[in-house]
Amino acid sequence: MNDLCADIGWKSINHYGEQLCGDHVEIVEKNDNSIVVVLADGLGSGVKASILSTLTSKIISTMMAAELPLEECVSTIAATLPVCSVRGVAYSTFTIMHIIGNETAEIIQYDNPQVIVLRDNKNYDYPKTEINIDGKKIYKSVIRLQEGDIFIAMSDGCPHAGIGMAYNFGWKREEIIEFMETMSVTGLTAKNLSTLLVDECDKLYGQKPGDDATACIVKIRRREPMNILFGPPFNRDDCDRMMSLFFSKEGKHIICGGTTSSIAAKYLRKPLRASLNFEKSDIPPIAKIEGVDLVTEGVITVNKVLEYAKDYLGKNEMYEHWNYKRDGASLICQLLFEEATDINFYVGRAINPAHQNPDLPINFSIKMNLVEELSKCLKLMGKRIKVSYF
Amino acid sequence: MKIIVCIGSSCHIKGSRQVVEKLQCLIAENNLSDKIELSGTFCLGKCQQGVCVTVDDKFFSVAPETVDEFFKDEILAKA
Repeated sequence: MNDLCADIGWKSINHYGEQLCGDHVEIVEKNDNSIVVVLADGLGSGVKASILSTLTSKIISTMMAAELPLEECVSTIAATLPVCSVRGVAYSTFTIMHIIGNETAEIIQYDNPQVIVLRDNKNYDYPKTEINIDGKKIYKSVIRLQEGDIFIAMSDGCPHAGIGMAYNFGWKREEIIEFMETMSVTGLTAKNLSTLLVDECDKLYGQKPGDDATACIVKIRRREPMNILFGPPFNRDDCDRMMSLFFSKEGKHIICGGTTSSIAAKYLRKPLRASLNFEKSDIPPIAKIEGVDLVTEGVITVNKVLEYAKDYLGKNEMYEHWNYKRDGASLICQLLFEEATDINFYVGRAINPAHQNPDLPINFSIKMNLVEELSKCLKLMGKRIKVSYF
Repeated sequence: MKIIVCIGSSCHIKGSRQVVEKLQCLIAENNLSDKIELSGTFCLGKCQQGVCVTVDDKFFSVAPETVDEFFKDEILAKA
């Protein structure tokens, strides 16, 4: 075991005019600390392609996770996929990235564009072995992982971007590599890197993609613990216990809530200084306590964070809002979505009498819901979450 | 003179931002920046009466609509 982990993110765009995407990404985490990521691209586009790629990626990821041999996975797919009535073949290409114990990556590729590996932000040419299963040429590679390794899997919609429009022959692999080398230096998350790549494809297609395009990125990074305190404890006597548990934890510390930060300031015997800088946003200003990495207001801020989290998991269109801003919600997003991998929530269940006013859009159950929904979103981002109530 | 405005959840919803901005503007207009220290605080524990403002530890309930009046009576008169 090491303290590395895999940050996985992907984004797809659909063939122009289609409701469904013909590419599918499936991620299965196994108990023994290994992860199977499958990107499948179904023949054609729309419903038919979507069914083919969903079946392919589901079957492969489930079978791989159950440790069945690759040959069996491939022949199962060949036997299961419905045959296309127009083209007379059953066909879906796939890329498998199997991250084992955060130490090695096994990459298995069938007819998708070759996975790009960036090591130290430079293209890394990795060895491939060709194997033949039922007449299908499949490439297999095993790579020892290093911190900072970035694996970029794509469907052919990416290198085909801009054919006949921006470029004569599409977006060449070398150019994609160059583009991603530049982007990777910035330390963006896997989700944001894949968003950049796919958005660039969309641009080359003139916002009318001629094919489904998907990028799935796995970034190997160090684990980063983070702690977040939200709300005062139900029982006043638990303040000290809650604070000492919170502050004894490794990693950065975030405190959300006015009363909560006053309690923390008292515990630390440090002054709490609220700023009056509204940062051109509808979020209340942040405050400062020596020894705490970030102090913000509670419900309104966290509600905004949840809104950003939901967008990040989906279309990722609000990224540009929170990525550079300095308001409380944006700062929390930067810490939780980008920096943290293991997040400990310390949630107080005190009821703020002022919030039980029916004129206010905040009350106790909303607060508890916020925590639940946010931790669900963070889990979907692949983070390890622990929630303790007080 | 020290003015503190609550920027906690309740007061925020009741318009503490507008109160702060109006006060900043009024202080500048009246050239009082060197006499008045304007700062923020989290919850003062009187959320029902928000927006909570204290002037040298004396409590006032101010709304965005009453800022002008509050400034004239409590600050301009005493500064």
